Amino acid sequence: MNAGRLYWRTPTGAMLWEIWSRNKVSYLWHGAALGAGLCFVQWKRQGVSEILAAVLALASLASFIGGYLQLLSCFAYVEVDAAKVKAGYPVSLLLKPLRTFHLVMVPMLVGGLVTTTMLAIWVAFVLKPLGLLPVYNLSWISIVALSFFWWMQALAWGLPLVRFRSFVMVAVALLHLTVGVMPQLPFNISPEWQWGILSALLVSAVPFAWVGLKLMREGRWDGPSWIFILWSRWLRTRAHGRRARFRSAFGAQFWLEWQRQGWLLPGLSGAMSLLVYPFVFFVGFKWSGVDAPPPEAILALILFGPLLLSGVMGPSMAKFDQLGSRRELPGYISVRPMTNGGFVMAKLAMALASSALTVLLNVAGACLCLAIAGKGNLLSKAGLVTPFGPVSYLTGCLPVLLLLVIMVWKNLLAGIGTGLTGRPWIANLGTAWRGAAGMGLISLVLAAKFYEDFRETLLHWLTAILIVCLTAKVAVSIAAFVWGLRRNAITARAIGWIAGGWLVCGLFVASYADHVCGAINQPGLRTWVLLGGCLVLPLADLAIAPLALAWSRHR
Amino acid sequence: MKFPSPSSAEAVIAVSSLSRHFGTKAALDGVSVFVPRGCVLGLVGENGAGKTTLIKHLLGSLKAQAGSVLVFGLDPVLDPVGVLGRIGYLSERRDLPGWMRVDEFMRYSQAFYPKWDEPYAAQLLEQFQLDPAQKIKTLSQGQQAKIGLLTALAYRPELLILDEPSSGLDPVVRRDILEAIIRTVSEEGRTVLFSSHLLDEVERVADHVVMLQHGRVVLNGRTEDVRGEHISAVLAFAEPQTKSPVLAGAHAVTGYGSEWRVLVGGSRLELETAAAVMGARVVEQRTPTLDEILVARAGGKAS
Amino acid sequence: MLERLPKLENVGRLKGAILLLDTLPHCISLLIHYYIMQLQISVQDGAPIYQQIVEQVKLLMAGGRLQPGDDVPPIRVLAEQLRINPNTVARAYLELERAGLITMRQGFGTQVAEGKMVLPKREKLRILSESADALLANARHLNVGLGEVITLLRERDDAMQPKASK
Repeated sequence: MNAGRLYWRTPTGAMLWEIWSRNKVSYLWHGAALGAGLCFVQWKRQGVSEILAAVLALASLASFIGGYLQLLSCFAYVEVDAAKVKAGYPVSLLLKPLRTFHLVMVPMLVGGLVTTTMLAIWVAFVLKPLGLLPVYNLSWISIVALSFFWWMQALAWGLPLVRFRSFVMVAVALLHLTVGVMPQLPFNISPEWQWGILSALLVSAVPFAWVGLKLMREGRWDGPSWIFILWSRWLRTRAHGRRARFRSAFGAQFWLEWQRQGWLLPGLSGAMSLLVYPFVFFVGFKWSGVDAPPPEAILALILFGPLLLSGVMGPSMAKFDQLGSRRELPGYISVRPMTNGGFVMAKLAMALASSALTVLLNVAGACLCLAIAGKGNLLSKAGLVTPFGPVSYLTGCLPVLLLLVIMVWKNLLAGIGTGLTGRPWIANLGTAWRGAAGMGLISLVLAAKFYEDFRETLLHWLTAILIVCLTAKVAVSIAAFVWGLRRNAITARAIGWIAGGWLVCGLFVASYADHVCGAINQPGLRTWVLLGGCLVLPLADLAIAPLALAWSRHR
Repeated sequence: MKFPSPSSAEAVIAVSSLSRHFGTKAALDGVSVFVPRGCVLGLVGENGAGKTTLIKHLLGSLKAQAGSVLVFGLDPVLDPVGVLGRIGYLSERRDLPGWMRVDEFMRYSQAFYPKWDEPYAAQLLEQFQLDPAQKIKTLSQGQQAKIGLLTALAYRPELLILDEPSSGLDPVVRRDILEAIIRTVSEEGRTVLFSSHLLDEVERVADHVVMLQHGRVVLNGRTEDVRGEHISAVLAFAEPQTKSPVLAGAHAVTGYGSEWRVLVGGSRLELETAAAVMGARVVEQRTPTLDEILVARAGGKAS
Repeated sequence: MLERLPKLENVGRLKGAILLLDTLPHCISLLIHYYIMQLQISVQDGAPIYQQIVEQVKLLMAGGRLQPGDDVPPIRVLAEQLRINPNTVARAYLELERAGLITMRQGFGTQVAEGKMVLPKREKLRILSESADALLANARHLNVGLGEVITLLRERDDAMQPKASK
């Protein structure tokens, strides 16, 4: 070791070095995200139209969120033990001859300093110039973020103290959200009180973390609390009542997929729309008396939330075990006597059940929010939703909901073809490709909106382009199906389900859009919608999926 | 008696000239193994010799880069359902879903095998003293090995493949597992292939032994024959040797001065002739244990 | 195969005597069995496992622990008990049946053959001569004379007697 680097030889130095060297690549990515944000600001400074400014703001917000979360995960100083499904303070450090206070303060101070500084830089140089967060004080945001970070650390470390940690974390996050928007709440709270509450929140994180770590060091780990004992006793009595056998292997695999991943989207989305949004609406509108936004906005927010969420969760659906980042097939699944196509069908079924449940929960949440916001009377707005009129309103709603289910389902299956290969670089490539394609599509639409001659040529060639794309998609799918049949990766029945499902969904989407677009007078719109609908739904991805899984299962 | 010929219809496992490379490293090099029905095969070798790689090929988790692998006459990669439905497998790392409970895991596994024997599974559960309501991640290593073995045995598979079944387990659990394996062996027509570092287990239980070293098969025969083919002897030289004497066919030479212990393959006559050539006489000789043979052979460099 | 102790160059005479004493109970315990059909299989031993079973069963019979007509555990049970391959047990039983010591009948299991099993003296001495060879080899290594060995044997026999009568 270089004699000059004596500072590494202190315990603090060693801990800092470890934080640095473990996450070098993440820091590079974060730097790249910041650079992108700064570029967006520069671009805007050179003078752009309103819409482009909005797009830039959204893009920089996205990169900020991604970068900031990544930084948080680097500095959170949490070690994940996938085998024992535990996460907490790195155990090996607890055994070192350091005081608990030392162990607590180094990650908290360093992490707090770095994340707050970076956040300040982001807000000052990227977000504010682009017009986001105009009303909030920079120092206020920074301290709220610091408090949030310290509390997340403390909760992640405080293993022995906290039961149902995930729920507590969500509650604490909500608390910070409430405190963060305090200056803007209609109640008149004096600045001293605001700062006082925030400081109390900030400072209380440290002793909480300290006590948690101290208990861990004393060996008082997750011993069962009385709640847990009652819970496991109840589980035991349930176990002794023999549950029915699974009807088939498919049923068992569906159950496994549901247990691991199926309930995540409905759970998250349902919690958002049944708990968070009503709470926010209640506090923000009913309680304070502020007028609520129009029902269309509320509906849009709540019903399109799952689309966004499922888009984000899509790539991780290809995994079999949610917690680890391993994309390989776990051993206890890969030795089951089931075809690769069977595994894929189970995933499809799980995704369908997941999206159906999500949409149901969101509809319930939407009704609840509308009721709270006092905009329950939607019958008058029925004409907007469906052309069938208020009498068959309910049956008119159904196509919309089905469409939503199909879209969410499509989003969940977005990464399945590339994700199932089990190679992370391919999965990342697939995500990047989809992101780029999405960006490209958005820019095409924007360009068509603003440049007349481009729009003319585009519309002239659109049918041809769509037909070519569709043919390519069908050709690839047929090739993949044939190859899969030959290699025994998929059965003819599964092919029938996939292809048939695609056709049915495509026709449904097309016919529904047909009705809606019938009002608009544009020649060729119907063909475009039909072709576009079929193109948007996944077929090639699903055809490749069994082959990808075979590639992962038999290395 | 060596293994039956490759054309034998009774071969449950037929691996011929299998080679596998990971990058530049050759994990398997021209391995050929034939296992007839009803045989208990012990696969031995040091860590990294290729045992787990060979076993993964039998399950179809790895594709053969050169050579062929046939289990029940089928290619496990092309027909996973046909092959895996008749194999019971316990992996070295146990590969169990930590989040599932014991009864949930049994229920899940049961759905895949039509021949699952529920009373037998319940009997094994009681015998292994496993709590059905307990989560697998909270089980000890021995209990995890037991539940893995239970779900491999419960549908009475024709072929049982165990990768280091006793690794990391205390002697009590090892006994339970060995007893369960013997019971499987007693049933008609069941074949067992297991790899182990515990060579006294292999000697007790296995009919045939295959030893892998650096991805090649170095020993292949019946358990008692394999031992009988080696001699551990002490050679006394007339004068003290300054360096280790080189004896043709010797796997290990240790000692000092004028007395050296050697482990050779071959007959007693060959040994005495070779010793006489070097000017030494055989002072004592005995049959080495499988342990000694493995260690002696493992000390040799890759050729 | 002869079992030889490693060369005792640097071991003092006292240690050697203790080693010598250690081999004796082992030899004598072969004759005196305190277990019924509880066989001890040693993998380290030079002899193949089935041969060890055959020898031990013969000794049990010769020692009177197994009477004619007694039930012999079935192959599966013995294999599970000893944790060895059932084929090995089957081979041992086959040898015993060939030697006329046990009879295997369908539906009745396996029993010790009728007729008093008398191990001919020749056979008994053959079994003992192996242990005797080991003992004498050790004695020679330690430079202990034959007369001293015989005295030692008498002493140990006296020490053994009360145990045998219990």
